[in-house]
Amino acid sequence: MPDAKEQITTTILAVVLVLLFFGVLFIMMLSYINFRRRQTAREKKAMQDQFDQQLMQTRLEIQEQTFRYLSEEIHDHVGQLLSLAKIQLSSFKEQEPIDFPLLKEAGGHVARALQDLRSLAKGLHAGHIRHFSIREAVDEEVQRIRKAGGLTVSVTSEGDEQKIKEEKQLILFRIIQECLQNCLKHAAATNINIGFTWYSEQLRVRVRDDGLGFDIDQAPTLNSGIGLENIRNRARLTGGSSVIYSRPGEGTTVTVQIPYE
Amino acid sequence: MTLFYYQYVQLFSLLLAILCRKGLNFFSIGILIPILLLDNITEIIGSNFTRIFHSPDNYFVYNIYYLLSTPLYLYLFAAMLKGDAREKRRLLITGIAIELFIIVNYFCIQGRVEFNTFNALLVGTANIVLSCLVLTRLAIRKEEETKMLMVDPYFWINAMILLFSLVSIIVLGLQTYIALNHLQFEGKNLYFALLEAANAALYTGYSGAFLLCQTQRSK
Repeated sequence: MPDAKEQITTTILAVVLVLLFFGVLFIMMLSYINFRRRQTAREKKAMQDQFDQQLMQTRLEIQEQTFRYLSEEIHDHVGQLLSLAKIQLSSFKEQEPIDFPLLKEAGGHVARALQDLRSLAKGLHAGHIRHFSIREAVDEEVQRIRKAGGLTVSVTSEGDEQKIKEEKQLILFRIIQECLQNCLKHAAATNINIGFTWYSEQLRVRVRDDGLGFDIDQAPTLNSGIGLENIRNRARLTGGSSVIYSRPGEGTTVTVQIPYE
Repeated sequence: MTLFYYQYVQLFSLLLAILCRKGLNFFSIGILIPILLLDNITEIIGSNFTRIFHSPDNYFVYNIYYLLSTPLYLYLFAAMLKGDAREKRRLLITGIAIELFIIVNYFCIQGRVEFNTFNALLVGTANIVLSCLVLTRLAIRKEEETKMLMVDPYFWINAMILLFSLVSIIVLGLQTYIALNHLQFEGKNLYFALLEAANAALYTGYSGAFLLCQTQRSK
């Protein structure tokens, strides 16, 4: 039977060991917390880098889209009007009496060309989307599509409009542009509806068309697969989500939810 | 002159601290050089005191050690906590209160002849609380400042102070009892058996931290 001294020694050793165990446990717990925090910070940074990269790409795409639109506008409208005015004006001969109605018509064509140029210049203003709300930017885009004709585009809005962070607004605008392009290129749709629903914390945008639709499972192999992946990726990077619903012959609905901040 | 094995580790850590002084200053822990100097002097005198001065014990040396080392350790913790002015003021008030108790205990309560166990318990508790505080801050500091704990010199210093204090609070608290009852472990006085190992671990941790200070300063 162990004597009293031995018992006390063993007890002291046990207490020391228990305390050391808790000390080591505490240190290990802190190391784990630190590891998790570093991991989260790394993930956050990677996400931020990806977001920045995506934002830059979005800016370039919007710029490219704007240039394409400008080129088409100048060629199809301003160019045509000015050519017509030039032809009309060149028909005047020095000795012949002036044909005032024709001159007036030529003047009218020049004035329309000037008006078109002014509205183009407004659109050309660097970062013009920044000065608009998402609703205004989408309205302007819809105007362009309506101008081209052949498609009915409606925009609806529910709830009170709220301010979205500039970067997110740019990305959301690009998502909507991508949806509209898909409708124009692949869907053969006649009606498109863009619905905004303003919730307290987030905005839901639903782009619905009555086009051909497609099989979602086969989308990755289609040309539009990359576009759809872009939509999903961009929505995710803004801290939001996206749902793409489509069935052959039933049109396509793209729903994107993005938090304001 | 008698030197125990842990004293070689202690001397080595002092030497390393002097060699890495720029690194230590870079991390605002240059105060560890005078602390280690005091630790080494105390241990050398303490381990030879009874033989040289023909005294029955060396309690006097360690009682004086608590009196001198406590403000230095509190300064070290203040430097590692990196708190705001309000926190520094709180720490200063706590430090003054602890130091006052140590002085009162040394002169009036337990006296100069008896080992000041109250001081050992108080300093041990303060070390545990403050090292836990520093360690927690290191683990949950701002995300952008978060770095691996293992490469942080503060981590090794505080982890070792914590573990050392957990052992010393029991052993030093029961010091008189262990001495009077001749409690032994593996044929060695229980007090020495435990504190020698704890000291060796503490100063090894310090040495590692000094090397980290120097390498990270160079970067």
